[in-house]
Amino acid sequence: MAVEILREKSRASVPEVTIGATKEEGGTRTHTITVGGDSALPFHHFEGEIKNRPVVALEVQDIVPQWHENLTKYYSDVIDNPGQWAKKCVEEYGADLIYLKLNGAHPDNGNKSVEECVAVVKDVLASVGVPLIIVGCDDEQKDNELLVAVAEATAGENLLFGNAEQTNYKSLTAACMVHKHNIIARSPLDINICKQLNILISEMNLPLSRIIIDPTIGGLGYGIEYAYSILERARLGALQGDKMLSMPVIATVGYESWRTKEATLSEEENPSWGDAEERGILWETTCATALLQAGVNILLMRHPKSVALVKKHIDDLMVSNNY
Amino acid sequence: MSKFSVTFFPENISVEVEEGVSIKQAAALAGIEIKSTCGEVGTCGRCAVKVQGGKYKDLGGNISSRLRNSGHVLACRTVVEGDLTVEIPAESRLDEHQVLVGHSQEKGILVEKELDLLEGYQFNPICRTVYLELPPPTITENASDLTRLYAELRKHVDYPDIRIPLAVLQNLAVTLREADWKVSVTMACFNGSAQIVSIEAGDTRESQYAVAVDIGTTTVVAYLVKLSTGEIMGSAGTYNKQARFGDDVISRIIYVNEPNGLEQLHKAVIGTVNELIDKLTKEHGISPSSIHAVMSAGNSIMAHLFLGLTPKYIRLDPYIPTAADLPPVTAKELGLMINPEGWVFSFSALASYVGGDIVSGVLCTRMSESDEMVLFIDIGTNGEIVLGNRDFLVTCACSAGPAFEGGGITHGMRAMKGAIERLVIDPETYEVSVQTVGNGKPVGICGSGLIDCIAKLRDAGLIDRTGQFQQVSTPRYRMNEEGPEFVLVWEKDSGIDKDIVITEADIKNLIRSKGAVYAGIRSLLQMVSMDLEVIDKILIAGGFGNYLNLSDAIKIGLLPDVPEEKYEFVGNTSVKGAQLALLSREAYKDAIEIGRKMTYIELSVGNTFMDEFVSALFLPHTDLTLFPSVPV
Repeated sequence: MAVEILREKSRASVPEVTIGATKEEGGTRTHTITVGGDSALPFHHFEGEIKNRPVVALEVQDIVPQWHENLTKYYSDVIDNPGQWAKKCVEEYGADLIYLKLNGAHPDNGNKSVEECVAVVKDVLASVGVPLIIVGCDDEQKDNELLVAVAEATAGENLLFGNAEQTNYKSLTAACMVHKHNIIARSPLDINICKQLNILISEMNLPLSRIIIDPTIGGLGYGIEYAYSILERARLGALQGDKMLSMPVIATVGYESWRTKEATLSEEENPSWGDAEERGILWETTCATALLQAGVNILLMRHPKSVALVKKHIDDLMVSNNY
Repeated sequence: MSKFSVTFFPENISVEVEEGVSIKQAAALAGIEIKSTCGEVGTCGRCAVKVQGGKYKDLGGNISSRLRNSGHVLACRTVVEGDLTVEIPAESRLDEHQVLVGHSQEKGILVEKELDLLEGYQFNPICRTVYLELPPPTITENASDLTRLYAELRKHVDYPDIRIPLAVLQNLAVTLREADWKVSVTMACFNGSAQIVSIEAGDTRESQYAVAVDIGTTTVVAYLVKLSTGEIMGSAGTYNKQARFGDDVISRIIYVNEPNGLEQLHKAVIGTVNELIDKLTKEHGISPSSIHAVMSAGNSIMAHLFLGLTPKYIRLDPYIPTAADLPPVTAKELGLMINPEGWVFSFSALASYVGGDIVSGVLCTRMSESDEMVLFIDIGTNGEIVLGNRDFLVTCACSAGPAFEGGGITHGMRAMKGAIERLVIDPETYEVSVQTVGNGKPVGICGSGLIDCIAKLRDAGLIDRTGQFQQVSTPRYRMNEEGPEFVLVWEKDSGIDKDIVITEADIKNLIRSKGAVYAGIRSLLQMVSMDLEVIDKILIAGGFGNYLNLSDAIKIGLLPDVPEEKYEFVGNTSVKGAQLALLSREAYKDAIEIGRKMTYIELSVGNTFMDEFVSALFLPHTDLTLFPSVPV
């Protein structure tokens, strides 16, 4: 007698979110990126459809960032030119998306004017064909002003804007609605606040298919297990039909990995840890691959070599294991 | 059966009723509420109305001859036998603020249910007074005064062990002789013995009193009870003076570690109770020495501090109280300003954070005798929840904070005259109309008003589901130094010399309080693996004032979304239970039994409560499916 293998079929799926708009769709992107749509646990091809592959975004900033030398050396020729930097990320390092952080707008980082920032965004849009993720400078007041202006200047491009948070979601949500963009809803490692924020945003009438959630992660060795269990709960919720917890997920892997001492401490300082760069790359890669298993759809990364490793890994994971 | 028309004046409203219906019932059909406190048996005499013409039958009852002669009858004891015209005098009308019993006409508003306290118990007060006429001594019948007293007393009480305090004994010889051997002896009877507390000249049986006290973390309420009849002479309430040492039980326990901390806390609560006793005795013109017993109910921490016991170790692993069954002590030991030989009883505590107040609540609601599955929720600073019936009782406590008692809220107050208890906000103009307790000028907002306020702010779209204000253009919405606020009553209309406002911080505070209560309910149900569906009745206790706006309480997610019929609002059950224990020794014994029967569930173990709490910090709840009746 044949063994019957039980498969868990899901009642619902993660909604699909499309970022970017081509010329025909009213934008200027060469192609769009669609994430989500999974109707099973991550890479359980035998239980449902894993419709779209997870994507990798590389981070670009509008000012020269204070990053580790093992990172900056890959961008040294373009690091003061966001457009060229983005271009290099896409053409040489295979970024699916560009994550543009307008850090220079922060009052402590030069306090760039809204107009300057809009010019940077336009430059990056002109340099690359991939869709953009645009985030502010983490100063609530400035972001409200800045992101609204950028959203207006890029109307029609269907970009992804962040970050909406529980205490400050209204102006960004309104801007995304009016100018037809997508939004990142960020919550502080708390499944309830994650869901509450989705309810608040959708109650302003932004469709659920335009929300990406950032439940916040802890880097490898810094609480990744919390992030993992929250992501797992969100995905299980999505598959059981909890619409307010079902959106695709972005995880800021590069940011979290490259601030750990394990990724940055030099070999001289701790010889037993081995080569610093290789260690950093692996730290970021391991963090990314673990979170892929928890259900992340968009990975924000920094090191080109980690990107290569992770993309290879995604290729392998996307091979159907259906039986 | 024939139908007749009854017309009420001055409204000039007519209703058609069947023969034999009382005028009171007919008035209710016409939408006119007539006063009654006796349950329509014709004894309270409050429902007098004047029949102007028509045929009726008077079944008789307690009505003054002055009123009877002027054509008045009791509405509850007069039945319709023909077309009638009736005039209802203003003093027999129930205006809304006097509603204390029965059911409100309005949907979604729960009116406090009057409990039949003594039901099933004999009137057998813990303190009783007997009048004795002693045979004076002679040269041949020369027993001592005390032997003489005991001999006579034994004819009235069956306690073999009678004790007399030294202070009373010292005055005995003089008192007996000055009273010509006719004295009233008051005894407190407990633990199998009768403790004499006073001996007075003459027959003073009608002027002996006791006090029932609910010692809450935030508020303290006292009832003055007449021992001969059990009736409540008056009640008084105030804030617990301990509040300045911390808002909740935990901060009070921490304060114990300060130099003289315990003594300060002890004195503060004794002072609070004394203040209430002083107020009650003055109001009713009685002497403090005619109060012979105090029955107190409070959570364990309050009970510890009341007796001056350190609650320090309750907070520390393994969370042990000094005593769970608290022994009676004398008033002079505690410094209570009643008869110094009077006794002070405390309801026994059950667990570290579940105390005598909840035992008191279970006692007076008869939950431990119920066949139905009952959920009892006491919404106070320390929210306590009991689930069960005659077969089992489980309980838990959650720290809800003082918000619903008005603590920590900019213009929060207890439910007393001038407190806003209901309000309406026009969704178009954002104009606010308020209703206050006693119809006085508004001076603050009480618990039921605060529940209403959050629900109405949300309805009007003034706050989002997290309690954040939306920016709207109305002069009522403005920024203060700490953040946004909304003006409920302008200074010119208020009874205080400023605007009455609710701030965003107040709202967040209330959301935390309601979240804690709801999370407590959910956690307790989860722990015993039961669904809300199996609960037949939900009893709500707490000092909300006369009303609880149930539909608003559900709308903000304070109480579970189940049909209104399942709910009953029972008021301050802590003080009522204490009153019952004063009036019936059996009830006092049962209270101890109930305490032993309850199983305490510690919510701080495990993650369930915290998880539930965070998901409840939303209006009404993160899981909107739990509140199907609340419109999105």
